[in-house]
Amino acid sequence: MEMSRRTAAPVKRRHLLQDNPSVLWFMGLLGLFTLGVTVLSEGFGIGLISTNLVKILGMTLCLCLIAIAMDVVWGYCGILSLGHFAFFGLGGYAIGMWLMYARTEIVIRESLAGSTIPPTEREVSEAVASQIFSVVGSNELPLIWSFAGSLPFQLAMVVLVPGLLALVFGWLAFRSRVTGVYLSILTQAMTLALSLYLFQNDTGLRGNNGLSGLQNIPGALHVPQSVISVWFFWASAFALGAGYLLFAWVVSGKFGSVIRAIRDNEARVRFLGYNVEGYKLFVFTLTAVISGIAGALYYPQAGIINPAEIAPIASIYLAVWVAIGGRGRLYGAVIGAALVSLLSSWLTGGGAPNIDLGFYRIIWTDWWLVMLGLGFVLVTLFFPKGIGGLFDYLVRKQ
Amino acid sequence: MPRPALIATLALCLLVLWPLAPLSAQSDTPLQDVLQTVQEQVASPSRAQVGGVLDVLQEADAPGTAEFLTRWAEREVFERPEDGLFFYARDGADRTLTLIDLDTGEDVAEVTTRDVNQIRVNAGVRREIEGALVTFELLAPDRARRMAAVRTIARSPEADHIPVLESALSEEEDGAVATRMARVLDLLNARFASDSATRVAAIDALSGDITTEARRALNQILSTGSQFAPEIPEGTNVARIRTPGADLDLVDAYARLADADLVPPRPGRNAIRDALRANVSDGAVAGIPVHRLDTEEARREAYRLLQDEGIVPPLPTQAEMDAAVAQYVFFDAYLEPDADVTTAARAALDSTRTSVGIWQFVSLSLDALSLASIFFLAAIGLAITFGVMRVINMAHGEFIMMGAYTGYVVQTMIPDYTTSLIVALPMAFLVTFAAGVALERTVIRHLYTRPLETLLATFGISIALQQLAKNIFGTQARPLTAPDWLAGSIAFNDVASISTIRVAIFVMAIAFLLALLFILNRTRLGLEVRAVTQNPGMAASMGINPDRINMLTFGLGSGIAGVAGVSIGLVAQVTSEMGANYIVQSFMTVVVGGVGSVFGTLAGATLIGALQKGIEWFNPGNTLAAQTFMVLFIILFIQFRPKGIVALKGRAAGD
Repeated sequence: MEMSRRTAAPVKRRHLLQDNPSVLWFMGLLGLFTLGVTVLSEGFGIGLISTNLVKILGMTLCLCLIAIAMDVVWGYCGILSLGHFAFFGLGGYAIGMWLMYARTEIVIRESLAGSTIPPTEREVSEAVASQIFSVVGSNELPLIWSFAGSLPFQLAMVVLVPGLLALVFGWLAFRSRVTGVYLSILTQAMTLALSLYLFQNDTGLRGNNGLSGLQNIPGALHVPQSVISVWFFWASAFALGAGYLLFAWVVSGKFGSVIRAIRDNEARVRFLGYNVEGYKLFVFTLTAVISGIAGALYYPQAGIINPAEIAPIASIYLAVWVAIGGRGRLYGAVIGAALVSLLSSWLTGGGAPNIDLGFYRIIWTDWWLVMLGLGFVLVTLFFPKGIGGLFDYLVRKQ
Repeated sequence: MPRPALIATLALCLLVLWPLAPLSAQSDTPLQDVLQTVQEQVASPSRAQVGGVLDVLQEADAPGTAEFLTRWAEREVFERPEDGLFFYARDGADRTLTLIDLDTGEDVAEVTTRDVNQIRVNAGVRREIEGALVTFELLAPDRARRMAAVRTIARSPEADHIPVLESALSEEEDGAVATRMARVLDLLNARFASDSATRVAAIDALSGDITTEARRALNQILSTGSQFAPEIPEGTNVARIRTPGADLDLVDAYARLADADLVPPRPGRNAIRDALRANVSDGAVAGIPVHRLDTEEARREAYRLLQDEGIVPPLPTQAEMDAAVAQYVFFDAYLEPDADVTTAARAALDSTRTSVGIWQFVSLSLDALSLASIFFLAAIGLAITFGVMRVINMAHGEFIMMGAYTGYVVQTMIPDYTTSLIVALPMAFLVTFAAGVALERTVIRHLYTRPLETLLATFGISIALQQLAKNIFGTQARPLTAPDWLAGSIAFNDVASISTIRVAIFVMAIAFLLALLFILNRTRLGLEVRAVTQNPGMAASMGINPDRINMLTFGLGSGIAGVAGVSIGLVAQVTSEMGANYIVQSFMTVVVGGVGSVFGTLAGATLIGALQKGIEWFNPGNTLAAQTFMVLFIILFIQFRPKGIVALKGRAAGD
């Protein structure tokens, strides 16, 4: 990580794993974890872990994936983006449109199958539209839903929509040299604009109702959720593993050195002749695409997506996870995201017992956010390396 | 001549003899006594005699006459045969009536329905009474009652009111009331006068009048209905001729002909489907197998086959529809047959358009200004902490919230709204000043070299404060009520008005601006703040304690946020999330305006406020869309002017 390796001999190309010994460890642990959850699940194993818990764990893996994306863009490249959860949400919306359309179409076709004359395509699509959009007082299919029935198209959208948005936004922002806190505020503004846009009823994504019923997978409507949950768990674990590998490769080698150098002193890198904007744009867009993919895996497990998920606060929580876990190391982001999100759902979901102090009763749902906020302040002030910093301590001790 | 009639005649004579009976106030004669003078005509009113009764009542002008007239017409007055007295009544138990005294309103007796006569008023009498009621009020000695009567007429205008109002106008002496009567008379004449010259004159008098009632009257005259006919009938006042295929949908035009039974109806998609469904035999319709009927073309083809067999009504071809529609002229005709009147009304309405437009713009500007003041208030504290000190304080919104809750707590303790507001403003400043100083001492001063982490740490504070507020005050919105003298609104006319509270907020914003400029530019503290901002090391060597200055500056910014919170709480709801709603916009205000300049913040707030209201005007009622586009605009704006509207230059820019 040190910039000043002036006396370095001709750099010998090192292997990815030499640069990142954590990759092997991580892959091993992820594999074991996946195996363990599968064996204990209801769908494929002995049923010690409920379907609901499998879903929560799968969702947590998706959050870990977006957290490592955030870590690359912030911890490695120094861009504190407060917009990555917007990309996550866009990925969710893209896949959610297909899930909702295709499932409704199947239901409609089944209900029309009994009629004496087979329905025309137009009748089916009108019935689907009125089924989906009656909640916002419309019965027409908005233009952006034109290809919602096509899985390949919507899968492409999962990648393209966040990617293009990040590309355009990043190009505009980096080109005019918006950096530091200004960039953070600008990304937050983008997130706010997007969530306000989605909150409107007439923008074709059902306003604040969002998209629902996403846990029902068209084509597998008769497969029990206990099985589907494990499928998605596997997909999420695979995506996280692949994402980890990809990012480990991105941040190692010369490219990684350049983006770390940009983080530490952007002007110097520019004077050395590097196209700083190009590097930043690449990192920003790549992480946005990965965030979109993470979202596309997350929301079918969550079952519902609405604009509140995209609100600026969500992106800030993402930064909190990464900061607590430890910036500038991929496993730190995973630890932060997993720990904070699991702890949060345990404490606010009523899982934790309330503590009676006699004079006051500590109700975790009330006090968790206070604790998180103050804990976060403490981490920022005293442990800038986050939980991941503990590993340095352990390694140095040996 | 029966005795009551005699008395009535006498009374009438008296009326004529005393034309200048006291007009200043209502007389003290009880209504019952007045009525007894014309007992028989009241008890069994006839159209011929009711006029005399009304004259008597009007002259006596006893209290409660108007109510009596209304209830008399509504058949709610009863006569007791024994003594001939009149009562109101209310239903009691077991088909009894409770009689109520006309003058005192007290219950008098409990009777059965057979003991009293309900006074029957026929339709002719009723109309007379209602007319008299209007006249009665229009001629009332009390100015306010006359005004109220005119207002009632303006609200539900009728042709019958014209003569009444004319005569009242001729006797009116009060200038303002007369003007108002003349205007309402114009409104009535414009719509109901019998000859077209009077109407045109009245309409001309209304031209340029931007009140809602005048424009409504004109629009009513101009209301149209769609019609069609082989050719336009003689005497039709045509507003517009519609050409099928251009400004009239062909299918709609044909459907209208079908509705009038002029052509056979055109079966729609659903009708075709139902017809096919009804004619399925052996898995096929007219020889076409059912499974092939899943396209529109196939269905139409099958339908035509059925049509050839004569089973279903024919499906007209495009050419047939064209031909049928071409036989008729489709046009919009004014409901008002007189072309002179509609032309005059159109001209009058057009003449108001410019001034209505100007006033709408004024109204929009006022809205924008008031929104800008709110943005400014929310952002001005940030202009200090972020703009001057370059400290990102994500908890700024929570300081606003803290100020608003302080106002709420003060209000629960001091019931008088004015006093509590006066106490709340400095209290809010003190509370948030203390909170700001505490935050600076404990957290922010450790992070001056790491601005991005200040953002994160203060965000942690923001989460904690928000949840704390939720724990203490609950999730539901708390009221922060403005004193009564701030509750009204200032109306310039029917188009433009602004509520007083928004004016107050505007004044508050100006006061803040001036106070801040004074502190920064004219006081020792301001000098030191600017010195520390520009070069802390140099300032320190000149004997300024940068720590102390940073602390005070941050406290000042936070304190201002608290006061802003009280003002914002007066127009918005006080919730634990209210600060979060303003934080992003506040940052954008500061960034757009230009970091480090108070005037920049002002410019930013004005731009954002104007922009949001402007966008809302194009897309009314959709605040969310306006906000979306506004944020997009800001993102683009920063591309082209990254340093904001007011960009600092030279050493003050700090980079």
